[in-house]
Amino acid sequence: MNFDTLNKDKVLDYTIHKWSSYSHNYVPENILANQPDRQSSRWSSETNNPPQFLILKLAEPAIACSITFGKYEKTHVCNLRKFKVLASLEEQNFVEILQGGLKNDSNPETFTLKHTIHGQPFPCRFIKIVPLLTWGPSYNFSIWHVKLHGVNAPEVVQPCLHWYYKYREIQAIRLCLKHFRQHNYMEAFDALRKKTNILLEDPILSELHTALVHEGDFEKSEVIIKKLIADDIFRHYIHQNNYKPHWQPVTLKKTGSIVQKPGMRGGHQMCMDHVHNCIYLLGGWNGSEDLADFWVFSCKDSEWTCLSKNTKEDGGPSARSCHKMCIDCNDEKIYTLGRYLDASKRTHERVVNDFYVFDIKSNTWKLISPDVALVGGPQLIFDHQMCYDDESRSIFVFGGRVLTPNCGPRSGSISPSNRSDERSEFSGLYSYHVDTDTWHLLREDSGNAGPQDIRSRIGHSMLLDKKQRRLYIFGGQRSKEYINDFFYYDIGQNQVATLSDGTKKENGLPSGFTQRATINSESGEIYVLSGISKDREKREENMHNSFWVYVIRDNRWTCVYKNEPQSASSHANNFLNLSFEGLPNFAADKPSSSDMESGIRGPEPCPRYAHQLVYDFERNVHYMFGGNPGRTSQPKLRLDDFWSLHLSRLSKSDLLRKCRYVIRKQKFREIVSVNLVAALNYLQTTVSAAVDHDNKEQAADFRSLASTLFGDMEAFESNYPSGGQEATRLVYSNADDAYVERTELFDQLVKYFPEDMTQPSENLLDLIVL
Amino acid sequence: METACHEPTIHPYFRHKDVYVLWCVYCDNELSDRTMKAILLADIKVDLYSTDLPPKPAVDVIGRYYTTDTCSCQIRDMACTKCGNPVGYHVVLPCANCLESCNNGHFWIFHQHTTKAIQRLNREGSNVLTWGAMEKELEAERSICYDSDDVCR
Repeated sequence: MNFDTLNKDKVLDYTIHKWSSYSHNYVPENILANQPDRQSSRWSSETNNPPQFLILKLAEPAIACSITFGKYEKTHVCNLRKFKVLASLEEQNFVEILQGGLKNDSNPETFTLKHTIHGQPFPCRFIKIVPLLTWGPSYNFSIWHVKLHGVNAPEVVQPCLHWYYKYREIQAIRLCLKHFRQHNYMEAFDALRKKTNILLEDPILSELHTALVHEGDFEKSEVIIKKLIADDIFRHYIHQNNYKPHWQPVTLKKTGSIVQKPGMRGGHQMCMDHVHNCIYLLGGWNGSEDLADFWVFSCKDSEWTCLSKNTKEDGGPSARSCHKMCIDCNDEKIYTLGRYLDASKRTHERVVNDFYVFDIKSNTWKLISPDVALVGGPQLIFDHQMCYDDESRSIFVFGGRVLTPNCGPRSGSISPSNRSDERSEFSGLYSYHVDTDTWHLLREDSGNAGPQDIRSRIGHSMLLDKKQRRLYIFGGQRSKEYINDFFYYDIGQNQVATLSDGTKKENGLPSGFTQRATINSESGEIYVLSGISKDREKREENMHNSFWVYVIRDNRWTCVYKNEPQSASSHANNFLNLSFEGLPNFAADKPSSSDMESGIRGPEPCPRYAHQLVYDFERNVHYMFGGNPGRTSQPKLRLDDFWSLHLSRLSKSDLLRKCRYVIRKQKFREIVSVNLVAALNYLQTTVSAAVDHDNKEQAADFRSLASTLFGDMEAFESNYPSGGQEATRLVYSNADDAYVERTELFDQLVKYFPEDMTQPSENLLDLIVL
Repeated sequence: METACHEPTIHPYFRHKDVYVLWCVYCDNELSDRTMKAILLADIKVDLYSTDLPPKPAVDVIGRYYTTDTCSCQIRDMACTKCGNPVGYHVVLPCANCLESCNNGHFWIFHQHTTKAIQRLNREGSNVLTWGAMEKELEAERSICYDSDDVCR
């Protein structure tokens, strides 16, 4: 039977089984009825302190495929802005099947529930709804109506139940197998395996176990590991490992006595030509005035060349800052649009959104349009985002604050009425088709976001994923509101999909409005370097850099590193080492004590905003230039430091070395108790050869091994992942010391394997509750 | 609306007015134990209850700021925090007209149809409490506090 083709819309009857609380006469049973015109026809919790929940019991086991929430006819502060749904068959071991949120309106909403595990539909009997957040922060949770849909036909559900029970049994047997083997009850192990024919793990792991644990054949174990690494079996583990950042000031080539380079600035623009391996830099603000110089940096020669001292005089854009630039590397064209204008300069003649293109081959500027607002493009904007899409030969422009003559940026003050006739203060999403020279408005700014709407903003990031043809957008602010959502716009489909609405903190997306971000479409990764707040009051606590990676496929953010916030005094005294020669500024921060990374980092750029970061995805290197360090005592100070950032992560050979080291360490440990001379010899040659002596942690560990030769066994004890041998020493066990140690080593190696190859990660013993 | 001789002591005109305790009509949540029956200046047919102190956490403001046709006070609705139903509104920014007319200085207004009201009795339970009497009771309480403070030395 093909489950996918079945009708999954059968209404599943349920009763209210359990609840956390209810207030007044808002009893849980109210959710059975759909009465949108009755405010009292709802369940409402007694408090908004978590955990609050409702457990529904289905009339019979069924596969729950979707859930529909009915609502009140008006908006209501008690509506669930965020909730979770879990399911189980026996009222324990609930599995999360949905995380969602309701809009604060009167429309019923339906959500698809996760209803397969390992591709297999699973039946459930209990559905637990856990409210997390209401629309009005201090209000209790209310649910007006819940309807469940799915499949309850016995001919479908029965096989699924059988599968489920069988799955459980197999898992139980595997847990037993693991337990027996761990404790060397091999007769029991073999009998159970023979009887059930159930595999504990992939045969290659069993082979490794035999070699390592039973036979103590460490050389053979190494050979197996080496082959596995060559076969890329540990790919998943390697990819889960965090990058390590390596910042380096870019050393410029000297020609003669003078080094040519762009001066101090913030609010400039840079773009990376990865084909020709060079970086373009245009304009900016030097603390006193807008700039109009235009530079190219050759990464190969490590040399800046000034293409124009004043682009306006060369037929290009006037001096400007907070503009945006994008590059078409194939056609060798650079486009620039937008700028910030001081309030005093916002005359009708000046408030125009001029649009220029620079032809790299002929080294000439051309004015495409004196004001794109007149031909369907955005009004004059600043702090927007701009991307060039090769495939559609289009430029996408999103967001930015609209500047209007004389009256400055439209004030963001509270307006009591929502006047829709007024044009928005923020600019929408536009596309510009290069060949036909035409603009299209794709999305207007929508303050009140529907699912396909986009909230415009400033200070956000927008990145083009060339492979999937999506624009990833996140961060930014609207007046005083900082936006934390994360979504993409699918260019081909003209569709918006939300990845995170920003209400969930644990997602890890750094909230930011001065962050800089880049993308690698090939590896499917987005990189974000945090910036400091423009807001002086907020700045002190935000005084740190952090670097984040988002893996598109896994929808996962990880912080690669974070340095500790600087104290105010250290900031004032020695945070910024700026010399008259314009030497690189750096903050030699102490590494964080967290688990981000071990080892001491070299110099790194001081925190800042209004800087520029570009990325060469072919050579996997970032470049950063300038910005505003936000020094209260020197408000006009801008930076001219230029950095490269290399990201490296654990390689196959690193991992092989790591495995070899722990295997040899075990062998050493076993020799020590028998033959000290042989052990010393083994330590000095074979173990030493596997040590990464540049890795301080490993080198220190290695040195401490020598002390065990003289009876200090602590070096061993401290290095076992279980944290102490006592816990695993068993009263009833057939295992000797060596067996226990080798088992721990085996379990350590198992962590590098993909989960579907290994023994269960849980232990039978952990199921025992006192 | 009825607002603002916003002095620490109440305008003599309002001293004789009764103090009402209010409950949410939907969920019986006690919303405030010091409200005054008032009339809307703009529409004297509308009965309201008002209070001077923010009745939090029993209620909280919800939704957007708005103004009505009758005056240009900036207001926001407020809802009962137990059931979330709107029970009145809060004058965030009173307009000049309302400030000039005679008013009770209360910026937290409850609708009659969303609340149940009962007159509050004085401490002895002998009589209905008036706003003037409540002030005196509070003053007496304060002086008791001072007395007990004096003891601690």
